[in-house]
Amino acid sequence: MTVSQAIGLCSALRLIEPDPVHYDERFTNLLSALNEVSPVVEPAELGLVYLGTDGLEGIFGAPEKIVEAIRRTVGRSDGQTVRLGFGRGKFVAWVAASRSKPNAAVIVPVGGEKAFLAAQPISVLPLDCDPHRRLRQLGIRTLGALTAIPEAAITAQFGAVGRRLWRLAAGRIAEPVEGRIAPEPIVVALTFFTPVGERELLVHSLDQLIGRALKHPRRIGWRVHAVRLRADLEGATNGGGSWLAAIQLKDPTADGERIAAPLKTRLEQAPPTGAVERLILEFTAFAPGTTELQLFARDAQAAARAGQQRALQSAAREIRMRVQRSSLYHIIEVQPWSRLPERRYALIDYEP
Amino acid sequence: MVPSARTPLRTDRLRAVNEPRAVTVELNESGRMTVGRPDGQTVGQVEAILESWRIDDEWWRQTIARAYMEVMLQGGKRMVLFQDLITGQWFAQMP
Repeated sequence: MTVSQAIGLCSALRLIEPDPVHYDERFTNLLSALNEVSPVVEPAELGLVYLGTDGLEGIFGAPEKIVEAIRRTVGRSDGQTVRLGFGRGKFVAWVAASRSKPNAAVIVPVGGEKAFLAAQPISVLPLDCDPHRRLRQLGIRTLGALTAIPEAAITAQFGAVGRRLWRLAAGRIAEPVEGRIAPEPIVVALTFFTPVGERELLVHSLDQLIGRALKHPRRIGWRVHAVRLRADLEGATNGGGSWLAAIQLKDPTADGERIAAPLKTRLEQAPPTGAVERLILEFTAFAPGTTELQLFARDAQAAARAGQQRALQSAAREIRMRVQRSSLYHIIEVQPWSRLPERRYALIDYEP
Repeated sequence: MVPSARTPLRTDRLRAVNEPRAVTVELNESGRMTVGRPDGQTVGQVEAILESWRIDDEWWRQTIARAYMEVMLQGGKRMVLFQDLITGQWFAQMP
Protein backbone atom coordinates (compact mmCIF):
# COMPACT_ATOMS: atom_id res chain seq x y z
CA MET A 1 0.00 0.00 0.00
CA THR A 2 1.36 3.40 -0.92
CA VAL A 3 1.25 6.40 1.46
CA SER A 4 -1.36 8.13 -0.70
CA GLN A 5 -3.55 5.01 -0.63
CA ALA A 6 -3.19 4.84 3.15
CA ILE A 7 -4.15 8.52 3.55
CA GLY A 8 -7.08 7.94 1.22
CA LEU A 9 -8.32 5.16 3.48
CA CYS A 10 -7.63 6.99 6.73
CA SER A 11 -7.68 10.76 6.65
CA ALA A 12 -6.59 11.02 10.29
CA LEU A 13 -3.46 9.04 9.52
CA ARG A 14 -0.38 10.49 11.18
CA LEU A 15 2.83 9.95 9.27
CA ILE A 16 6.05 9.60 11.21
CA GLU A 17 9.34 10.09 9.42
CA PRO A 18 11.59 7.06 9.69
CA ASP A 19 14.70 7.52 11.79
CA PRO A 20 17.03 4.72 10.67
CA VAL A 21 19.97 6.11 12.63
CA HIS A 22 17.95 6.00 15.83
CA TYR A 23 16.83 2.43 15.13
CA ASP A 24 20.38 1.47 14.37
CA GLU A 25 21.72 3.06 17.54
CA ARG A 26 19.11 1.34 19.68
CA PHE A 27 19.93 -1.95 18.08
CA THR A 28 23.66 -1.42 18.57
CA ASN A 29 22.99 -0.63 22.24
CA LEU A 30 21.00 -3.84 22.51
CA LEU A 31 23.84 -5.86 20.99
CA SER A 32 26.41 -4.34 23.35
CA ALA A 33 24.16 -5.06 26.32
CA LEU A 34 23.71 -8.68 25.24
CA ASN A 35 27.46 -9.02 24.91
CA GLU A 36 27.60 -8.63 28.68
CA VAL A 37 25.61 -11.84 29.06
CA SER A 38 27.18 -13.94 26.30
CA PRO A 39 30.08 -13.41 23.92
CA VAL A 40 28.16 -15.22 21.17
CA VAL A 41 25.74 -12.68 19.72
CA GLU A 42 24.33 -13.00 16.22
CA PRO A 43 22.29 -10.08 14.92
CA ALA A 44 19.90 -11.54 12.34
CA GLU A 45 18.03 -8.39 11.35
CA LEU A 46 17.03 -5.11 12.94
CA GLY A 47 15.26 -6.14 16.13
CA LEU A 48 16.12 -9.84 15.99
CA VAL A 49 19.15 -11.23 17.79
CA TYR A 50 20.26 -14.75 18.60
CA LEU A 51 22.34 -15.34 21.69
CA GLY A 52 24.49 -18.43 22.19
CA THR A 53 23.97 -19.74 25.71
CA ASP A 54 26.21 -22.81 25.71
CA GLY A 55 28.16 -22.85 28.96
CA LEU A 56 26.12 -20.07 30.58
CA GLU A 57 24.48 -22.57 32.97
CA GLY A 58 27.76 -22.54 34.88
CA ILE A 59 27.38 -18.81 35.50
CA PHE A 60 23.64 -18.25 35.74
CA GLY A 61 22.10 -21.66 36.28
CA ALA A 62 18.92 -23.03 34.68
CA PRO A 63 17.46 -21.58 31.44
CA GLU A 64 14.99 -19.50 33.50
CA LYS A 65 17.92 -17.79 35.22
CA ILE A 66 19.72 -17.21 31.92
CA VAL A 67 16.58 -15.66 30.45
CA GLU A 68 16.20 -13.52 33.57
CA ALA A 69 19.81 -12.33 33.22
CA ILE A 70 19.15 -11.38 29.59
CA ARG A 71 15.96 -9.53 30.50
CA ARG A 72 17.68 -7.70 33.35
CA THR A 73 20.62 -6.69 31.17
CA VAL A 74 18.49 -5.48 28.29
CA GLY A 75 16.14 -3.63 30.62
CA ARG A 76 19.07 -1.93 32.33
CA SER A 77 20.65 -0.91 29.02
CA ASP A 78 17.75 1.17 27.76
CA GLY A 79 14.51 -0.22 29.01
CA GLN A 80 13.48 -1.80 25.73
CA THR A 81 10.55 -4.16 25.51
CA VAL A 82 11.75 -7.56 24.38
CA ARG A 83 10.20 -10.91 23.66
CA LEU A 84 12.45 -13.78 24.62
CA GLY A 85 12.49 -17.34 23.44
CA PHE A 86 14.79 -20.07 24.69
CA GLY A 87 15.28 -23.32 22.84
CA ARG A 88 17.69 -25.62 21.10
CA GLY A 89 18.66 -24.07 17.76
CA LYS A 90 17.75 -20.75 16.24
CA PHE A 91 14.42 -21.75 14.70
CA VAL A 92 12.92 -23.10 17.92
CA ALA A 93 14.19 -20.07 19.85
CA TRP A 94 12.71 -17.70 17.28
CA VAL A 95 9.31 -19.41 17.26
CA ALA A 96 9.34 -19.39 21.07
CA ALA A 97 10.16 -15.66 21.12
CA SER A 98 7.44 -14.89 18.60
CA ARG A 99 4.94 -16.67 20.89
CA SER A 100 5.98 -14.88 24.06
CA LYS A 101 4.32 -11.81 25.52
CA PRO A 102 6.23 -8.50 25.71
CA ASN A 103 8.93 -8.69 28.37
CA ALA A 104 8.16 -12.35 28.94
CA ALA A 105 9.82 -15.52 27.74
CA VAL A 106 8.82 -18.89 26.36
CA ILE A 107 11.27 -21.64 27.25
CA VAL A 108 11.24 -24.84 25.23
CA PRO A 109 12.94 -27.63 27.19
CA VAL A 110 15.49 -29.82 25.44
CA GLY A 111 13.62 -32.78 23.94
CA GLY A 112 10.34 -30.85 23.91
CA GLU A 113 10.97 -29.17 20.55
CA LYS A 114 8.72 -31.44 18.49
CA ALA A 115 5.79 -31.14 20.85
CA PHE A 116 6.18 -27.36 21.06
CA LEU A 117 6.46 -26.90 17.31
CA ALA A 118 3.56 -29.24 16.48
CA ALA A 119 0.97 -26.70 17.63
CA GLN A 120 2.51 -23.77 15.75
CA PRO A 121 1.01 -22.46 12.50
CA ILE A 122 2.93 -23.03 9.26
CA SER A 123 3.35 -19.26 8.95
CA VAL A 124 6.32 -19.52 11.34
CA LEU A 125 8.26 -21.38 8.66
CA PRO A 126 10.56 -19.33 6.43
CA LEU A 127 8.34 -19.85 3.38
CA ASP A 128 7.79 -18.07 0.10
CA CYS A 129 4.18 -17.33 -0.89
CA ASP A 130 3.86 -20.24 -3.30
CA PRO A 131 4.75 -23.18 -1.04
CA HIS A 132 2.73 -21.52 1.73
CA ARG A 133 -0.32 -21.39 -0.51
CA ARG A 134 0.20 -24.97 -1.65
CA LEU A 135 0.51 -26.21 1.92
CA ARG A 136 -2.74 -24.48 2.84
CA GLN A 137 -4.44 -25.99 -0.22
CA LEU A 138 -3.33 -29.38 1.04
CA GLY A 139 -5.07 -28.56 4.32
CA ILE A 140 -1.84 -28.30 6.28
CA ARG A 141 -2.25 -25.56 8.87
CA THR A 142 0.21 -26.51 11.60
CA LEU A 143 3.72 -27.83 11.82
CA GLY A 144 2.31 -30.94 13.49
CA ALA A 145 0.14 -31.57 10.43
CA LEU A 146 3.18 -31.10 8.24
CA THR A 147 5.32 -33.58 10.15
CA ALA A 148 2.45 -36.10 10.17
CA ILE A 149 3.16 -36.48 6.45
CA PRO A 150 6.27 -38.55 5.71
CA GLU A 151 9.39 -36.52 5.03
CA ALA A 152 9.85 -38.26 1.67
CA ALA A 153 6.38 -37.17 0.50
CA ILE A 154 7.07 -33.52 1.33
CA THR A 155 10.47 -33.75 -0.34
CA ALA A 156 8.84 -35.22 -3.45
CA GLN A 157 6.37 -32.32 -3.58
CA PHE A 158 8.58 -29.39 -2.60
CA GLY A 159 12.13 -30.61 -3.26
CA ALA A 160 15.09 -29.67 -1.06
CA VAL A 161 13.21 -26.67 0.35
CA GLY A 162 10.39 -28.94 1.48
CA ARG A 163 12.82 -31.33 3.13
CA ARG A 164 14.40 -28.48 5.08
CA LEU A 165 10.98 -27.17 6.11
CA TRP A 166 9.88 -30.61 7.25
CA ARG A 167 13.03 -31.02 9.31
CA LEU A 168 12.64 -27.56 10.83
CA ALA A 169 9.03 -28.36 11.71
CA ALA A 170 10.07 -31.66 13.28
CA GLY A 171 12.73 -29.93 15.39
CA ARG A 172 15.43 -31.95 13.65
CA ILE A 173 17.46 -28.91 12.60
CA ALA A 174 19.17 -27.02 15.39
CA GLU A 175 21.18 -24.28 13.73
CA PRO A 176 23.84 -22.98 16.09
CA VAL A 177 24.27 -19.29 16.86
CA GLU A 178 27.23 -17.82 15.06
CA GLY A 179 28.84 -15.01 16.96
CA ARG A 180 29.92 -12.01 14.98
CA ILE A 181 33.42 -10.64 15.08
CA ALA A 182 32.91 -7.21 16.51
CA PRO A 183 35.23 -4.87 14.67
CA GLU A 184 36.23 -1.60 16.14
CA PRO A 185 34.71 0.80 13.64
CA ILE A 186 36.53 3.87 12.43
CA VAL A 187 34.25 6.88 12.80
CA VAL A 188 34.83 10.33 11.38
CA ALA A 189 32.34 13.18 11.42
CA LEU A 190 31.84 16.65 10.05
CA THR A 191 29.53 19.22 11.64
CA PHE A 192 28.36 22.01 9.36
CA PHE A 193 28.12 25.59 10.63
CA THR A 194 24.84 25.94 8.81
CA PRO A 195 22.71 22.98 7.65
CA VAL A 196 23.63 21.88 4.15
CA GLY A 197 21.17 20.80 1.50
CA GLU A 198 23.29 21.01 -1.67
CA ARG A 199 24.23 17.61 -2.93
CA GLU A 200 27.57 18.80 -4.35
CA LEU A 201 28.66 20.06 -0.97
CA LEU A 202 27.62 16.80 0.68
CA VAL A 203 29.57 14.82 -1.92
CA HIS A 204 32.62 17.01 -1.35
CA SER A 205 32.29 16.50 2.42
CA LEU A 206 31.95 12.76 1.87
CA ASP A 207 35.24 12.72 -0.06
CA GLN A 208 36.92 14.57 2.78
CA LEU A 209 35.55 12.16 5.38
CA ILE A 210 36.65 9.12 3.39
CA GLY A 211 40.15 10.59 3.06
CA ARG A 212 40.31 11.16 6.83
CA ALA A 213 39.00 7.71 7.68
CA LEU A 214 41.44 6.01 5.28
CA LYS A 215 44.34 7.76 7.02
CA HIS A 216 43.29 6.36 10.38
CA PRO A 217 46.14 4.21 11.82
CA ARG A 218 43.75 1.36 12.55
CA ARG A 219 42.86 1.14 8.87
CA ILE A 220 46.43 0.71 7.62
CA GLY A 221 46.90 -2.79 6.26
CA TRP A 222 43.17 -3.40 6.03
CA ARG A 223 40.69 -2.97 3.23
CA VAL A 224 37.26 -1.57 3.95
CA HIS A 225 34.41 -4.04 3.60
CA ALA A 226 31.38 -2.26 5.04
CA VAL A 227 30.71 1.42 5.32
CA ARG A 228 27.89 3.52 6.71
CA LEU A 229 27.12 7.16 6.06
CA ARG A 230 24.82 8.82 8.53
CA ALA A 231 23.36 12.30 8.51
CA ASP A 232 21.69 14.20 11.32
CA LEU A 233 19.09 16.35 9.67
CA GLU A 234 18.20 19.89 10.62
CA GLY A 235 16.52 19.98 14.02
CA ALA A 236 17.81 16.49 14.86
CA THR A 237 18.34 17.54 18.48
CA ASN A 238 14.64 18.43 18.67
CA GLY A 239 13.46 15.12 17.30
CA GLY A 240 14.21 15.84 13.63
CA GLY A 241 14.93 13.02 11.25
CA SER A 242 18.06 11.29 10.17
CA TRP A 243 19.40 9.59 7.09
CA LEU A 244 21.44 6.45 6.73
CA ALA A 245 23.16 4.60 3.92
CA ALA A 246 24.79 1.28 4.78
CA ILE A 247 26.88 -0.30 2.05
CA GLN A 248 28.55 -3.69 1.95
CA LEU A 249 31.30 -3.42 -0.65
CA LYS A 250 31.38 -6.33 -3.04
CA ASP A 251 35.16 -6.26 -3.13
CA PRO A 252 36.89 -4.87 -0.06
CA THR A 253 39.01 -1.91 -1.02
CA ALA A 254 41.26 0.82 0.33
CA ASP A 255 40.56 3.04 -2.65
CA GLY A 256 38.69 6.18 -1.68
CA GLU A 257 36.86 6.52 -4.98
CA ARG A 258 35.58 2.96 -4.92
CA ILE A 259 34.33 3.43 -1.37
CA ALA A 260 32.68 6.73 -2.30
CA ALA A 261 30.97 5.54 -5.50
CA PRO A 262 28.04 3.57 -3.97
CA LEU A 263 27.54 6.23 -1.31
CA LYS A 264 27.38 8.96 -3.95
CA THR A 265 24.87 6.89 -5.91
CA ARG A 266 22.77 6.59 -2.76
CA LEU A 267 23.05 10.35 -2.17
CA GLU A 268 21.84 10.90 -5.71
CA GLN A 269 19.02 8.35 -5.74
CA ALA A 270 17.71 8.71 -2.20
CA PRO A 271 19.09 11.95 -0.78
CA PRO A 272 18.45 13.11 2.80
CA THR A 273 14.96 14.53 3.18
CA GLY A 274 16.21 17.70 4.86
CA ALA A 275 19.28 19.87 5.31
CA VAL A 276 22.19 18.07 6.95
CA GLU A 277 23.64 19.34 10.21
CA ARG A 278 26.22 16.62 10.74
CA LEU A 279 27.65 13.96 8.46
CA ILE A 280 29.18 10.84 9.99
CA LEU A 281 31.12 8.18 8.13
CA GLU A 282 31.87 4.76 9.65
CA PHE A 283 34.03 1.95 8.38
CA THR A 284 32.39 -0.96 10.17
CA ALA A 285 34.00 -4.08 8.69
CA PHE A 286 37.40 -4.79 7.25
CA ALA A 287 39.20 -7.44 5.25
CA PRO A 288 42.93 -8.03 5.55
CA GLY A 289 45.02 -6.17 2.99
CA THR A 290 47.60 -7.73 0.72
CA THR A 291 50.74 -9.27 2.21
CA GLU A 292 52.73 -6.16 1.33
CA LEU A 293 50.20 -3.96 3.07
CA GLN A 294 50.27 -6.20 6.11
CA LEU A 295 54.02 -5.80 6.36
CA PHE A 296 53.52 -2.09 6.84
CA ALA A 297 50.57 -2.51 9.13
CA ARG A 298 52.31 -2.61 12.48
CA ASP A 299 50.40 0.45 13.61
CA ALA A 300 47.14 -1.21 12.70
CA GLN A 301 48.11 -4.38 14.49
CA ALA A 302 49.15 -2.43 17.56
CA ALA A 303 45.79 -0.71 17.56
CA ALA A 304 44.03 -4.04 17.12
CA ARG A 305 46.04 -5.44 20.04
CA ALA A 306 44.99 -2.44 22.10
CA GLY A 307 41.39 -3.28 21.21
CA GLN A 308 41.89 -6.90 22.24
CA GLN A 309 43.50 -5.75 25.47
CA ARG A 310 40.46 -3.60 26.25
CA ALA A 311 38.18 -6.54 25.53
CA LEU A 312 40.27 -8.79 27.78
CA GLN A 313 40.22 -6.24 30.59
CA SER A 314 36.48 -5.96 30.33
CA ALA A 315 36.02 -9.76 30.32
CA ALA A 316 38.35 -10.21 33.31
CA ARG A 317 36.48 -7.49 35.23
CA GLU A 318 33.20 -9.19 34.44
CA ILE A 319 34.40 -12.59 35.64
CA ARG A 320 35.88 -11.11 38.82
CA MET A 321 32.57 -9.38 39.51
CA ARG A 322 30.54 -12.54 38.96
CA VAL A 323 32.61 -15.02 40.92
CA GLN A 324 33.74 -12.47 43.53
CA ARG A 325 37.38 -13.44 43.18
CA SER A 326 40.08 -13.49 40.60
CA SER A 327 39.80 -16.78 38.76
CA LEU A 328 41.97 -15.99 35.78
CA TYR A 329 45.60 -16.93 35.89
CA HIS A 330 48.45 -17.10 33.54
CA ILE A 331 51.35 -19.48 33.67
CA ILE A 332 54.81 -18.10 34.28
CA GLU A 333 58.12 -19.88 34.17
CA VAL A 334 59.77 -20.21 37.56
CA GLN A 335 62.53 -22.78 37.16
CA PRO A 336 61.90 -24.27 33.71
CA TRP A 337 65.15 -26.19 33.95
CA SER A 338 64.21 -27.94 37.21
CA ARG A 339 64.07 -31.73 37.23
CA LEU A 340 61.15 -31.48 39.68
CA PRO A 341 58.01 -30.89 37.58
CA GLU A 342 56.25 -28.78 40.26
CA ARG A 343 59.11 -26.28 40.34
CA ARG A 344 59.03 -25.40 36.66
CA TYR A 345 55.92 -23.24 36.34
CA ALA A 346 53.50 -21.34 38.56
CA LEU A 347 50.14 -19.62 38.21
CA ILE A 348 49.76 -15.94 38.88
CA ASP A 349 46.61 -13.79 38.93
CA TYR A 350 45.86 -12.55 35.46
CA GLU A 351 45.20 -8.85 35.36
CA PRO A 352 45.17 -7.71 31.76
CA MET B 1 68.27 5.15 34.57
CA VAL B 2 64.95 4.21 33.04
CA PRO B 3 62.76 2.28 35.53
CA SER B 4 61.52 -1.11 34.45
CA ALA B 5 58.07 -0.90 32.89
CA ARG B 6 57.19 -4.39 34.05
CA THR B 7 55.02 -4.87 37.08
CA PRO B 8 57.13 -6.34 39.91
CA LEU B 9 56.38 -9.99 40.50
CA ARG B 10 54.57 -10.63 43.78
CA THR B 11 55.61 -14.06 44.93
CA ASP B 12 52.75 -14.19 47.47
CA ARG B 13 50.33 -14.37 44.53
CA LEU B 14 52.02 -17.35 42.94
CA ARG B 15 50.18 -20.67 42.90
CA ALA B 16 51.99 -23.89 42.25
CA VAL B 17 51.18 -25.85 39.12
CA ASN B 18 51.49 -29.59 38.78
CA GLU B 19 51.96 -30.33 42.45
CA PRO B 20 52.17 -34.06 43.29
CA ARG B 21 48.82 -35.55 44.28
CA ALA B 22 48.90 -38.21 46.95
CA VAL B 23 47.76 -41.67 45.83
CA THR B 24 47.80 -45.11 47.32
CA VAL B 25 49.49 -48.04 45.63
CA GLU B 26 48.74 -51.55 46.76
CA LEU B 27 49.95 -54.91 45.58
CA ASN B 28 47.45 -57.74 45.36
CA GLU B 29 48.16 -61.45 45.78
CA SER B 30 49.25 -61.84 42.18
CA GLY B 31 51.73 -58.96 42.55
CA ARG B 32 49.71 -56.46 40.53
CA MET B 33 49.62 -52.80 41.52
CA THR B 34 46.34 -51.04 42.16
CA VAL B 35 46.30 -47.25 42.27
CA GLY B 36 43.78 -45.54 44.51
CA ARG B 37 42.87 -42.16 45.92
CA PRO B 38 43.45 -41.29 49.58
CA ASP B 39 39.65 -41.42 50.11
CA GLY B 40 39.72 -45.11 49.22
CA GLN B 41 38.38 -44.81 45.67
CA THR B 42 40.15 -47.01 43.12
CA VAL B 43 41.76 -45.27 40.16
CA GLY B 44 42.72 -48.46 38.34
CA GLN B 45 44.85 -51.54 38.17
CA VAL B 46 48.28 -51.19 36.60
CA GLU B 47 48.51 -53.13 33.37
CA ALA B 48 52.09 -52.32 32.46
CA ILE B 49 55.04 -50.20 33.56
CA LEU B 50 56.12 -48.33 30.46
CA GLU B 51 59.13 -46.45 31.78
CA SER B 52 60.88 -45.76 35.05
CA TRP B 53 63.46 -43.20 36.14
CA ARG B 54 64.84 -41.71 39.33
CA ILE B 55 65.41 -38.17 40.50
CA ASP B 56 67.85 -37.31 43.29
CA ASP B 57 68.16 -33.63 43.99
CA GLU B 58 68.80 -30.93 46.56
CA TRP B 59 71.10 -33.09 48.63
CA TRP B 60 72.59 -29.85 49.94
CA ARG B 61 69.44 -28.89 51.87
CA GLN B 62 66.52 -31.34 52.15
CA THR B 63 67.25 -34.37 50.07
CA ILE B 64 64.72 -35.24 47.41
CA ALA B 65 64.74 -38.80 46.12
CA ARG B 66 61.92 -40.03 43.89
CA ALA B 67 61.41 -43.18 41.89
CA TYR B 68 59.15 -42.30 38.95
CA MET B 69 57.31 -44.71 36.72
CA GLU B 70 54.98 -44.20 33.82
CA VAL B 71 52.26 -46.82 33.98
CA MET B 72 49.37 -47.91 31.82
CA LEU B 73 46.18 -48.71 33.69
CA GLN B 74 43.53 -51.18 32.64
CA GLY B 75 41.56 -49.48 29.90
CA GLY B 76 44.61 -47.78 28.44
CA LYS B 77 44.87 -44.71 30.67
CA ARG B 78 48.44 -43.57 31.23
CA MET B 79 49.67 -42.12 34.48
CA VAL B 80 52.95 -41.03 36.01
CA LEU B 81 53.50 -42.16 39.59
CA PHE B 82 56.41 -41.70 41.90
CA GLN B 83 57.40 -42.99 45.28
CA ASP B 84 59.08 -40.59 47.66
CA LEU B 85 62.06 -42.70 48.65
CA ILE B 86 62.52 -40.75 51.90
CA THR B 87 58.99 -41.16 53.27
CA GLY B 88 57.78 -44.11 51.18
CA GLN B 89 54.62 -42.25 50.12
CA TRP B 90 53.20 -42.52 46.59
CA PHE B 91 52.15 -39.60 44.40
CA ALA B 92 50.79 -39.00 40.92
CA GLN B 93 52.17 -36.17 38.83
CA MET B 94 52.35 -35.02 35.25
CA PRO B 95 55.89 -35.53 33.99
